[in-house]
Amino acid sequence: MSKDLSRVRNIGISAHIDSGKTTLTERILFYTDKIHAIHEVRGKDGVGAKMDSMELEKERGITIQSAATYCTWKDIDINIIDTPGHVDFTVEVERALRVLDGAVLVLCSVGGVQSQSITVNRQMTRYNVPRIAFINKCDRIGANPAKVTDQLRDKLGLNAHMMQLPIGLESDLAGVVDLVTMKAIYYEGENGENIREDEIPAEMLAEAQEKREAMLEEISMFSEELMEALLEEGDIDVQLINDAVRKGTLALEFTPVFMGSAYKNKGVQALLDAVEQYLPCPTDVENMALDLKNDEKEFVVSNDPEDPLIMLAFKLEDGRYGQLTYVRTYQGEVVKGGTVYNNRTGKKVKIGRLCRMHSDEMQEIDSCGSGDIVALFGIDCASGDTFSASDISCSMTSMHIPEPVISLAVIPVDNKAQINMSKALNRFTKEDPTFRTYVDHETGETIVSGMGELHLEVYVERMKREYDALVEVGAPQVAYRETISQRAEFNYIHKKQTGGSGQFGRVAGYMEPLEEGEYEFVDKIVGGAIPREFIGACDKGFKKSLEKGSLCGAAITGIRCVIDDGAFHAVDSSDVAFQLASVGAFREGYLKAKPVIMEPIMKVAVEGPSEFQGSVMGSINQRRGMIIGTSEEGMYTVIEAEVPLSEMFGYSTTLRSLTQGKAEFTMEFATFKPVPKSVGEDLVKAYQNEKKNS
Amino acid sequence: MGNDDLIINNPLRALGLEDKAGEGVRSMGLVMARAGLGKTAILVQFALDCILQGNNVLHVSIGESVEKTRAWYDDILSLLTEGERIEMIPGIMKNRMIMTFKESSFSKAVLEERFDDLVQQEIFKPECLIIDGYDFENNDPKSLEELRNFMNDRGLKVIWFSAVSHRSDGRVSEDGVPAPCHDVASLFETVLLIKPEGNEMKLAILRCDSSVVDPKATLILDPSTMLVKKS
Repeated sequence: MSKDLSRVRNIGISAHIDSGKTTLTERILFYTDKIHAIHEVRGKDGVGAKMDSMELEKERGITIQSAATYCTWKDIDINIIDTPGHVDFTVEVERALRVLDGAVLVLCSVGGVQSQSITVNRQMTRYNVPRIAFINKCDRIGANPAKVTDQLRDKLGLNAHMMQLPIGLESDLAGVVDLVTMKAIYYEGENGENIREDEIPAEMLAEAQEKREAMLEEISMFSEELMEALLEEGDIDVQLINDAVRKGTLALEFTPVFMGSAYKNKGVQALLDAVEQYLPCPTDVENMALDLKNDEKEFVVSNDPEDPLIMLAFKLEDGRYGQLTYVRTYQGEVVKGGTVYNNRTGKKVKIGRLCRMHSDEMQEIDSCGSGDIVALFGIDCASGDTFSASDISCSMTSMHIPEPVISLAVIPVDNKAQINMSKALNRFTKEDPTFRTYVDHETGETIVSGMGELHLEVYVERMKREYDALVEVGAPQVAYRETISQRAEFNYIHKKQTGGSGQFGRVAGYMEPLEEGEYEFVDKIVGGAIPREFIGACDKGFKKSLEKGSLCGAAITGIRCVIDDGAFHAVDSSDVAFQLASVGAFREGYLKAKPVIMEPIMKVAVEGPSEFQGSVMGSINQRRGMIIGTSEEGMYTVIEAEVPLSEMFGYSTTLRSLTQGKAEFTMEFATFKPVPKSVGEDLVKAYQNEKKNS
Repeated sequence: MGNDDLIINNPLRALGLEDKAGEGVRSMGLVMARAGLGKTAILVQFALDCILQGNNVLHVSIGESVEKTRAWYDDILSLLTEGERIEMIPGIMKNRMIMTFKESSFSKAVLEERFDDLVQQEIFKPECLIIDGYDFENNDPKSLEELRNFMNDRGLKVIWFSAVSHRSDGRVSEDGVPAPCHDVASLFETVLLIKPEGNEMKLAILRCDSSVVDPKATLILDPSTMLVKKS
């Protein structure tokens, strides 16, 4: 099945939490005839919005997992990924952006550009995603789309221009003025499905003309024809304007701004038209893959359905139909019953069933062409795997996955819970690369780690609800790291002679800080001081030592171990002997290399009324935070700071009481930094006590 | 790596600042240029120089975001330290605070209030103040005088301002300080003007407080890095 790719749009809808993007998606599905009734996110009808398919999402009114859906608007096929708004789940946003060609940035007309919008925008820029903005909730008290557009320019640095003007605001919102066609558009009928075009209200005409001129002047930079037409001062063709806006949007140099209220059924259809007119189709975007046969050289995927298949698995889900793998095809065609090749595992995989997803419902299809987003059944793979036809070997560019920063112990209450918990953890870790789990060998506890308190809380809740795994959780712990701060040498002999065959191995070399990456092993042995067959054992010994540092028991990262000398015994040397020799060598070198404890530092943004600026800054200061800067805009101030995660537990309560509940904050992982001496000493002491008591 | 180990290849040494920003010296400086010629880059170099001498700097940016202002510091510091990663230099960030205002929300009173908040709550005690984007056209010369008094009252060592000059406005002061600062030039000890000349950007020293700038120095701005250097 080959289809005209210019009629396909793969878009994401991302924004700050509570800016109403799930409601917007719901309306899009309604107007594209995918659903036949509208349910509110926290609706009284108890059905919940279509895209929030998980029970937990419905209960909390937030989107946790992005669900993919598909709809058709004026013969354009639109694949939509509804993405979560909370910063703890941004890996979902990032994964979605990796596979999408364009995005709608949803903003609240009252809240405007908030800190999460800045994060989302930065991610969109990282993946070169062209975007259009939709200012939602224009029916709310205090709605001010012009101010939000200014913020898009000032805070996000986007060349944003209003393509519409609101007709009335707050409870008087009636429709919008389209600055391209210079018509007033009203949304009538029970669900705003009847669109009525009319003349622009007389009192708005002057403003509309002024805004239109400013917009035309800006977009004329992208079209010489338009510039000429403007100079001639005649009527300007609508298509000419649309082409210029599209060109600017695709080049990421212009951001058209639309507005309305999804909840009040206003402005959504015009947004869908904008998706069609201004966002890219798969062939407009250049996607790169790495050629594994040619030293990972980058090449551009063709988007041609006739070429060999390349597709990326960007999301896994274990639903009631078995494991679902969401894939995006970049070239070639996937056919039901066909065979594809997993480039990571080297295994051939048969495509059993192929579906289009509509939240948690599905529609089976026989094939899908280039540029599509579909779900496959029963494929064993991990998120981020690239599938291709067997005659090519390639990988789509790797995705940016942040390291987990927080962990907690989960203890199943009984045997049944233990079994269910392992099933659940197995699935969650496959689905979400930022969610990790391991067993602490010393305490025997299962530890889960992730990107924030809420992130882990949601998974614990899902374990209970979906897998009936009742667990008790420990207090959240910060994921500290240990690293070395200078080069140190080691020379260790492991010798054991206690009857039976002995053990002998000598490992010598040095360790040094590694600027990028977690661990590197370098073999500089010459002349067979350590025989080839034992080199692997040395690496293994070092790796084993990295699991737990001697300062506070945290994992060791950022270290390069180099071996350049050693000795062996013809009879007594073995794999085990060299592994143990390396463990000893590591221990010897590690303390000489001045190890330090590193802690995760979070980028925190607190937004609130300016009058509380002093007390908020004080509270950050008390938490060992470093204030980067403050930006004041009239009554509101945003304070940006870097604060150690260990100091941020319970901050929401403190902030609430300091600011009478008027300020809010978001945080995301920034970097790891060495802990101050006094904190380090406390951690070492606590670890030693813990070891003594266990 | 601490500040002391930092191998600073600082072209600002050309300005003879080494021993100057010491205790007791109070001075106000101004960098002028037409739009887009590198005023912020110069202010950031002054700020970094103050920081490296162990002073706290409050950088007030009017009409610019925290992120952009921070990026200026990162870029210039990376050039000065020949690519050393900024996060490895803990003192720099600790001794700098950025405060941004929208044009409409900035006033001397608000600045004073915020400044006093920082000091009284022992959050940050600035010794140098950078004000980038001050509106000289619409602000009364009197408020500039008040800022000078403010500097003396709060024990600030130095305040640096930036101002945009316009080609169309030919007014100049006696010592050649162009509009809109020609009327208030006497309030500043030092006034520098960025002048494009051919392929070069000259940094003309219009007024000079010998304790801050060596009057005999001839300075240029490297157009590729925006760093000040001796010609």
